[in-house]
Amino acid sequence: MSITSFAFAGFAALLAVVYRVLPQRVRWWALLAASVIFYAAGGPAAAAYMAVTAVTTYFAALLLQRENDRRAAMDGEQRRSSKRSHDRRRHLVTGAACAVNFGMLFAIKYWDFVSESLAFLRLPALGLVVPMGISFYIFQSIGYVADVSRGKTAAERSFPRYLLFVCFFPQMVQGPIDRFEHLAPQLFAGRRPDTDEVRDGIQLMMWGYFKKLVIASRAGTVVGAVYANAGAYPGCASVFAVLMYTIELYCDFSGGIDIVRGTAGLFGINMAENFRRPIFSLSLAEFWRRWHMTLGGWMRDYVFYPLSLSKPFAALGRFSRKHLSGKLGRILPTSLATFIVYFIIGIWHGANLTFLAYGLYNGAIITSSILLAPFYTRVKKALKVNESGGLYRAFCIVRTSLVVFVGRYLTRAPWLKMSLVMLKRSVFDLRLRELPGVVTGLGMSFFDLALVAAGCAVVLAAEYIEERGVGIRAYLAKRGAFVQWLAIAVPLAVILIFGVISAGSGAGEFIYGRI
Amino acid sequence: MSSKKWLVAFVCTVLAFGLLTLAFNVLVDPFGVFGDVIFHWDSYSQTLNPRVGKIEYLDRHCDEYDSYIIGCSSTSSFPVEELDEYMDARFYNLFTYGADMLDSEDFVRYIIKNYTVKNILLNVYIDNGHTYDDPGIDNLTGAMHARVDESSLAAFYWKYLFLDPNYAIDKVRSFFKDELLAEPYDVFDVKTGCYDKRERDAEPISGLEEYEAIEQYSGFADYPTYHVPLKKTAQAMESLVRIKEMCDEAGVNLIVVCGPVYSGYMQGVDRQEAEEFYTSLAEVTDYWDFSISSVSTEPRYFYDLTHFRNCVGSMALARMFGNGDVYVPEDFGVYVTRENAVELVERNDAVFASRPRTDEWTKDVPILVYHNIVPDGEEGATVSMLEGQLAALRKAGYESVTFRDLEDYVYRGTELPEKCVVITFDDGYYSNYEYAYPLLEKYGMRATIFVIGVSVGHKEFYKDTEFVMTPHFDEEEMAEMSSSGVISIQSHTYDMHQWPPFETGGHVRETLLRFEDEDEEEYVRALQKDFERSRSQIEAVTGERVDVLAYPGGGYDILSQWALTQCGVNVTLSTRYGVNTLVKGLPQCLGAMHRIYGDAFPDAGELIAAMKGKR
Repeated sequence: MSITSFAFAGFAALLAVVYRVLPQRVRWWALLAASVIFYAAGGPAAAAYMAVTAVTTYFAALLLQRENDRRAAMDGEQRRSSKRSHDRRRHLVTGAACAVNFGMLFAIKYWDFVSESLAFLRLPALGLVVPMGISFYIFQSIGYVADVSRGKTAAERSFPRYLLFVCFFPQMVQGPIDRFEHLAPQLFAGRRPDTDEVRDGIQLMMWGYFKKLVIASRAGTVVGAVYANAGAYPGCASVFAVLMYTIELYCDFSGGIDIVRGTAGLFGINMAENFRRPIFSLSLAEFWRRWHMTLGGWMRDYVFYPLSLSKPFAALGRFSRKHLSGKLGRILPTSLATFIVYFIIGIWHGANLTFLAYGLYNGAIITSSILLAPFYTRVKKALKVNESGGLYRAFCIVRTSLVVFVGRYLTRAPWLKMSLVMLKRSVFDLRLRELPGVVTGLGMSFFDLALVAAGCAVVLAAEYIEERGVGIRAYLAKRGAFVQWLAIAVPLAVILIFGVISAGSGAGEFIYGRI
Repeated sequence: MSSKKWLVAFVCTVLAFGLLTLAFNVLVDPFGVFGDVIFHWDSYSQTLNPRVGKIEYLDRHCDEYDSYIIGCSSTSSFPVEELDEYMDARFYNLFTYGADMLDSEDFVRYIIKNYTVKNILLNVYIDNGHTYDDPGIDNLTGAMHARVDESSLAAFYWKYLFLDPNYAIDKVRSFFKDELLAEPYDVFDVKTGCYDKRERDAEPISGLEEYEAIEQYSGFADYPTYHVPLKKTAQAMESLVRIKEMCDEAGVNLIVVCGPVYSGYMQGVDRQEAEEFYTSLAEVTDYWDFSISSVSTEPRYFYDLTHFRNCVGSMALARMFGNGDVYVPEDFGVYVTRENAVELVERNDAVFASRPRTDEWTKDVPILVYHNIVPDGEEGATVSMLEGQLAALRKAGYESVTFRDLEDYVYRGTELPEKCVVITFDDGYYSNYEYAYPLLEKYGMRATIFVIGVSVGHKEFYKDTEFVMTPHFDEEEMAEMSSSGVISIQSHTYDMHQWPPFETGGHVRETLLRFEDEDEEEYVRALQKDFERSRSQIEAVTGERVDVLAYPGGGYDILSQWALTQCGVNVTLSTRYGVNTLVKGLPQCLGAMHRIYGDAFPDAGELIAAMKGKR
């Protein structure tokens, strides 16, 4: 069930009504039942993968909890003496849970890529279909196991409750990757949402549908053709396609998250924020703190810190401080950990050399900017740059956008060489004059282009206002009834007309053409 | 507004939008089930779903008909008007896309119960043994009308009420870009129920290679043999038994016909299964069989791989009703009874196995074209060049034939001389009278001159201007040539071959093609008026029927071709280079015919080679 379908909207609305009328005690059961139905609709294989993750992480957490409880019961001396064996047991259980789940993820998502890339090993391809949202729930569940292992969270004893945490339906498609301590209490509380929350949820959903259906799906129509055969187009087509792809990606992903969070709002559940207006990032590192925030946070807590604090890295730190002079010696281990994190983020996005390159690209830029920071400070001082000034901030935003934009050349191309061809053409073979012809040739009408531009302008304006700290909802809530009604009717009409209806349904294809 | 009120406003707005959508669906009514009160566009809804649209139409108009044609889409090509004449009835063609025998049974039951029915012509196609009650039918566009298959009416209207609004939007869009001839969104002729083939029947057709080079017909060149298993024959025949019972009971005259099947298609049918299909059909009823004959082997008799042309339908009716005026191939059509069914299947197999002899129904005919003839020594087509060519043709054994001869060949199958040529002159220059006419007479040849009506008799000036032009012969000279029997005078339009430098005003008709900004209907009226003027001018002088037109500048399109056929123009000529292939029974081979410029081959030997298709 796609979250942009009428079926999903109807499903969510019906469930929201049922949720309200049920007694508080059993409300979470309704969510669980709905989530299981929602996920089971994806087929038996998808349900089986989900079951593996839910069962293994559930028991791993229980084991870890027992281990932690046992240790908590010890006195100080016992604790000290048993620390090593305790840690070993904890790591064993956590490692086993990771091995099973990441192993499964690897087999489903990456195995075929590996066997294809290393053809000389003659590894058989598995041809497994990647089920909906598998990366998200595995990451979320492993995060939970790690939290239990560290004693940050108590393990959930009830399997049905835990299952709801793993498969809560709105987040199944594209996250966000929430934390147990944040999400689970809300899921189980069964609190009846007040009307403000429901209204906010609906508004957020409408905003998401607008971004996804009106802007993203329109911008996306031209992208595939150019990425598939960039050699046939002038450089301007590559620039145009990457721009449209950047718009599509942001509006599709953030719009989807808005729909998910809005849906959760119907049940009074506040899910983790995943985007915080990344367009206003001043640096690439900040971009990654504002873009897909739950993934970044996950990487920080479960990859970066453990890695930086691990023994090999401590040894590396000692070594670099001893043999390298100045700041470089101090920050080398951190930089390496940063690099590895972004490298993993790259691979997380998909199994392809392009994502490897994307990871390297981000890792390299962020690491080098850390390493070069002292140099920049000197330059800025020499040029007397006012770092808090609007002009400098604008420069930073444009610079970051450009860096992100270039990165987008990598992630959509079917293979790495195509990305490079497109980049090369964008620089050396732009042929800007041919752009109008290219755009119409790609099947994008002037009207669609204008609609995408207008949609982007609305999104940018809204984000700018929010960035300035003005709440649009609060502002609207204070207006008169008619204005408020307009704020319902106009977006609804726009979504219906330009998102649902004009997206077409194949209705115009006449059977006569086929017989 | 409080959030509670906001929620109420939201729900009301959503409901209002929902209701608006429903109202839009009802008012625009793309499937025509709610009366189509705004557009009254039956052809559109019938195109979307003929099973629904045709019944909606008939429920309103059934008193205009007393007989029905039923079957799958190839059934469209049984011409209703001819059938009306043969049977003194008022037929409606109730065929639908991909109708199986269950659809036919449902229709028969419904029309007998609800309408006055005298005759039913049922076309049984080989596919009726292949599909029966196919569950893969699209619920919106392929489903039967609920009143016909007696399924739930509530579910039926619900389906079209909660329709994707894109259907209605498409209808509105199509309405504003609708043109005169058939479009993919309105393919039916509402009155007869047949496909609107005006456009397709106006397409010029000539040699096979040329035909198969057209994208639409390229499938014939490389026909894929795909297997068509006939596993539903028994079910289809059970339906047929019920159809026959219903007709017998209601005193309805049931005629069963098996329309022509393209041989390539038949190749995919197992012989055993085909035999079973046709013999079990004969067990149920006598029928006319046209399924396999020489016609099946000729791609030009088919619109596409599964649909035979209207002209083939005319041949079938002529055979059934014994009309000797229409060309019908000898092996086309056999009346099958239980007794001769097996023989027929064997005969069909034999036809199938034998190599088709296309020369029995095709003929290559070159047409020469000249314009002004000049005295020897001047630039252009000289008198002695023309004489040399005529003499060479004579010597090579060529006989000149007229367009009347070509029409007879196509419409009646009258054979043409082994070596034949048609000679034409465009524009009506005085030199044609002065030089060409005596030469033709001398060599015993005949020719056709296409005159521009407005220029007849203008020996000095272009129309009523002071621009000097090449002289044109006058009506007296025209009458003299015509009465000699040597020259036939036909039309080159009255005034649609204007010469821009000599004209004033914005729109100059250099050819008879439509101006880009011209309304299609206005254009057709203008063209037909011009032709009628040309025709009455010539007929008044010569007394000879005018039904041939040479396109000024060779410019033609489907619209002009169709508009002229409407005026009874049987033959049109282009200036496309080449030799024509005539096909018996196929009027389209007389459209926009190719011609060879005589003065392009001053050497008579080269001209004769070109006429044989060698360049």
